[in-house]
Amino acid sequence: MKTKRALTTALLAGSLLISSGPTVAGTIKGKVTIARARNLADMVVYVEKAPGDFTPPKKHAVMDQKNLVFIPHVLPAVVGSTVDFLNSDQVLHNVFTPDKCAKKFNLGTWPRGEVRSMKFDQIGCSAVLLCNVHPEMEAYVVVLQNPYFAVTDKSGLYAIPDVPEGTYTLRVWNKKSLEFSQQVTVPKQGDATADLKLKG
Amino acid sequence: MKTSLKIRWRIPVSLLLVSLAVLSAGTAGAIPAFTRKYKTSCSTCHYAFPQLNAFGKAFRNNGYRYPGGDENFRKEDPVELGSEAYKRVWPDAIWPSDIPATGPFAIHAIGRYNMSFNQPDTVANNTFEFPHEVELLYGGTIGQEVSFFGEVEFETEGDEIEIAFPFRLEINHRRAFNVSLGSQTIDPTPNHMRLTRTKYNVSTLKSRNQWRLEDGQSGMQLWGAGNGSGGKGGWKYGAGIVNGQGVVDANRDKDVFVGMTYKIGGLGEIGGTEGQASETSAFYRDNSLTIGGLLYSGREAGATVAEKEDLTVLLGTADFWYARLIVNGSILSMKSDIAGLSDRKSLAWYAQGQYVLYPWLIGIARLESTDSNTDDATAARTTLVPAVVGMLRANVKFTLDYKRPISDYDLRKAAEEGFTAQANFSF
Repeated sequence: MKTKRALTTALLAGSLLISSGPTVAGTIKGKVTIARARNLADMVVYVEKAPGDFTPPKKHAVMDQKNLVFIPHVLPAVVGSTVDFLNSDQVLHNVFTPDKCAKKFNLGTWPRGEVRSMKFDQIGCSAVLLCNVHPEMEAYVVVLQNPYFAVTDKSGLYAIPDVPEGTYTLRVWNKKSLEFSQQVTVPKQGDATADLKLKG
Repeated sequence: MKTSLKIRWRIPVSLLLVSLAVLSAGTAGAIPAFTRKYKTSCSTCHYAFPQLNAFGKAFRNNGYRYPGGDENFRKEDPVELGSEAYKRVWPDAIWPSDIPATGPFAIHAIGRYNMSFNQPDTVANNTFEFPHEVELLYGGTIGQEVSFFGEVEFETEGDEIEIAFPFRLEINHRRAFNVSLGSQTIDPTPNHMRLTRTKYNVSTLKSRNQWRLEDGQSGMQLWGAGNGSGGKGGWKYGAGIVNGQGVVDANRDKDVFVGMTYKIGGLGEIGGTEGQASETSAFYRDNSLTIGGLLYSGREAGATVAEKEDLTVLLGTADFWYARLIVNGSILSMKSDIAGLSDRKSLAWYAQGQYVLYPWLIGIARLESTDSNTDDATAARTTLVPAVVGMLRANVKFTLDYKRPISDYDLRKAAEEGFTAQANFSF
């Protein structure tokens, strides 16, 4: 009787463990390099496809316009995410995109303190964002299937946390559309390192 | 507002000497040095250089500073001429300020191909004019309350080269109260901001002693600007005293002027974002109506003291912007009194439409009428000026401009009719 109860408990616990999702995860980290490139910032390193359905976060992502610059310059987001666009300047700003994958939206012009939002719902879309008041302003929203992504710093370093155990295809998005992919395996315990060398 | 003063000596180019001309041509108002200071595009301030858009006018009305806190937008730190704390030491020290860290200079070059019709066989009826004009422009701010703007300009006029070197120093005490010292542009059109090669007739109409609105003058001006209700539109005024003619005054009398404009709707005259939310926007849009007036009074020297001319000029302007369209116009009335001669009244007006077909392609059509003497039997001269402006890049512009007198066939035969293809670039 005791053995039967213990076994039932173990089975129940095991089933709970399975249904609550993976609990073993590690960080994929490394460095992206491009021959002869001086600035390695603002590339998105991401897991191309991960098992499961991923709902976008309830908290909206934010892109600001401050001192005539979009901040951040590159914003990766899970498909279905809504991005709030702020204007923190004392001058008018505008956000629009010429890209079809983002329906060529134009949010108009709005003053400081106001927020306008846009939902990005096409996987694989990397929409360039422009301001038709200040043509030099530029930013990107990169729409991805899952939340396992990171943006490189000036040295090309990146770290993608909480990636479940498994083998994945790692890809790099960059403004110059340089193609790159590499397999990476996240162990049951510990982190994975992947240094990615792109051809310039 | 810009000006150029040229002193003319008739020296042909073939002698490789430079002549300095007395009367000015319109000078450019675009300055890529600001592009470098703020790392922003020309079209942030210009509809199509040198014509300013609404933000460019607000930038100018803020003493060449970004509205809302210039220090937040400039991308290069100036060189300090004293710590801020020296303000507390004054009057026992010089008030601190700063100057641009990198040279606030820019170059603007203009070349032309001119063709005139109805010329006799012995006269060249088409000419390449490269260069027509080259300018070294400079402008910027000195600390928080002083600004400057100037240029050195070389322009070919027939067989002569003209040099002009106007500049202006301004004390920007408040947006509503600025003092400008140096080369003043009285012309509110303003002619030097036009997009056509052909100048505005109201600016080039001459009095009997050769005064014209186009010419910049030495003097001083008090001016200011402010936003209207709800942060939209607003007002601008200017009042000044100038020599009247020449770099050095031609007589003992000074000329005076006062002018004002009022803008209804659109971006505030000194900028800001209040009330400016919209679903559509573009650097060339600013739905608004601006109306203005200018009164100028002076005494212009003649060949002898007895031939001095008392001059009174009244000018009215209207400038309507809506979506891609701009419709503007001016009407000028000039009254000239010379002792011993009949008074003379002159009347000139123009009406112009501009349409943005694409942000890089603008169509223009202008109708002008000029009557040098409304009391005589000679009819007013009417001219049509169609033009198209193409922006190859934000700082490279091509203009095709056609001038056609339509009221008098004799004028067309007198080679008034013709077209010009012009190329401008600046950096």
